[in-house]
Amino acid sequence: MNHFSEDALIEYHYGESTAKDEIAHHLRECSDCARSYAAIVRDLAEISAPATPVRDAEYGGQVWDSIRGSLRAYPEKPKAWWTSLLPSQQWKGFAAAAACLLVIVAAFFAGRFWEQSKKSGNPTVANNGGRERVVLLVVGDHLERSERLLVELKHADAATEAPLQQEARELLADNRLYRESVKQGGDLTLVSALDHLERVLIEVSNEPAGLSQARLDDLQNEMNTDGLLFEVRVLRSRVRGDVERKERGPLQTKGVSI
Amino acid sequence: MEQNDHQIVREVLAGDKDAYGALVGRYLQNVFRVAFRITGDEADADEVVQEAFMRGYQGLERFESRANFGTWIYRIAVNCALNHVGRRKAGTNLQIAEDADPAQQQVQLADTAAGPERHLLSREIEALQETAMSKLTATERTAFVLRHMEERTTTEIAEALEIAPNAAKQAVFRAVQKLRRSLAPLRVTQ
Repeated sequence: MNHFSEDALIEYHYGESTAKDEIAHHLRECSDCARSYAAIVRDLAEISAPATPVRDAEYGGQVWDSIRGSLRAYPEKPKAWWTSLLPSQQWKGFAAAAACLLVIVAAFFAGRFWEQSKKSGNPTVANNGGRERVVLLVVGDHLERSERLLVELKHADAATEAPLQQEARELLADNRLYRESVKQGGDLTLVSALDHLERVLIEVSNEPAGLSQARLDDLQNEMNTDGLLFEVRVLRSRVRGDVERKERGPLQTKGVSI
Repeated sequence: MEQNDHQIVREVLAGDKDAYGALVGRYLQNVFRVAFRITGDEADADEVVQEAFMRGYQGLERFESRANFGTWIYRIAVNCALNHVGRRKAGTNLQIAEDADPAQQQVQLADTAAGPERHLLSREIEALQETAMSKLTATERTAFVLRHMEERTTTEIAEALEIAPNAAKQAVFRAVQKLRRSLAPLRVTQ
């Protein structure tokens, strides 16, 4: 019998498990898992939200007064001079007519453009290829920087802590952007690695206590940073290969590509 | 008649700064509650409230007309609180650690009699809970508060923290595991 992990049971407790029915059924059958689940429920029930201090009706005014002085009013947007030449009702009618005309013209040109693109093949494929190449190039650089950070993390001591956290913060912002781009391209392996990398970067950059040796050891164990380093190296070499292939252009081969 | 949020936002963007005061009043309690739960400190929560509404005002041009202002300012507040906890030096809230003697806690929890002792005990449990929470990283703490106390979904947590849903889920898992480990001595005699 396959037992469910603590994570799966926690997820089930919060009502977000994708295997709800399966877990519910298993908990009826397996006394070990049922005991573990009961312990999780009991422990989490003990952790209650602290009572929020009461703020009276004047608090809103106080907060507003405290920030009002430092806020600059947005500049008033002046009305276009020519709108004042038209009476308002007439202006509304004119705007509606102009909008209709615009839609008709846009539909006409869209039709023509579609006809042309059908005749001249599909140029967007080439554009997408170029975009993918750019994404791969920047992701390749990003992986290289991440690899350096992971190696530094592996050999870090107290003296290297501050620059490491700064570097992690910068990489984190880039990583989010690249993950989204890669996700759109559908490369799930790369998305998953960037996801793992993001979790490590979050921990490193947000570590309030700084990076003590004990915390670094914890990170190594909890986040499997060695495994991630290996993953990043493999992906970096694969991305480099992809970029080179895209630079050479598609191969002219017969048969079905695999 | 009460103006809706979008009308107020339009007025503010058209130069009426004071109109923003109505939005502050409307969402203040929600923002304060989540700020307090994440920071665990009243004064810090007040600071977060001010910072969140200031950042909200400054970024009002980026607020999309289709979005909900309440959700938007809530996310800003979560981010401000997360940064606040991240900046806070480690150990600031650990002064009660000396009291956290597992042996004593076990004896105390076994006593279920009502009265002043019981009251004192529940305060101690709260204090131990706060100590355990302070051992979490800023991300873990925020993700846990949003999941467990604010009852937000993983998707909402990920959006508020600007991380991937899987990263949000993992942060909650790690937080729960660490809290269970930290509070384990309390359960021994139950």
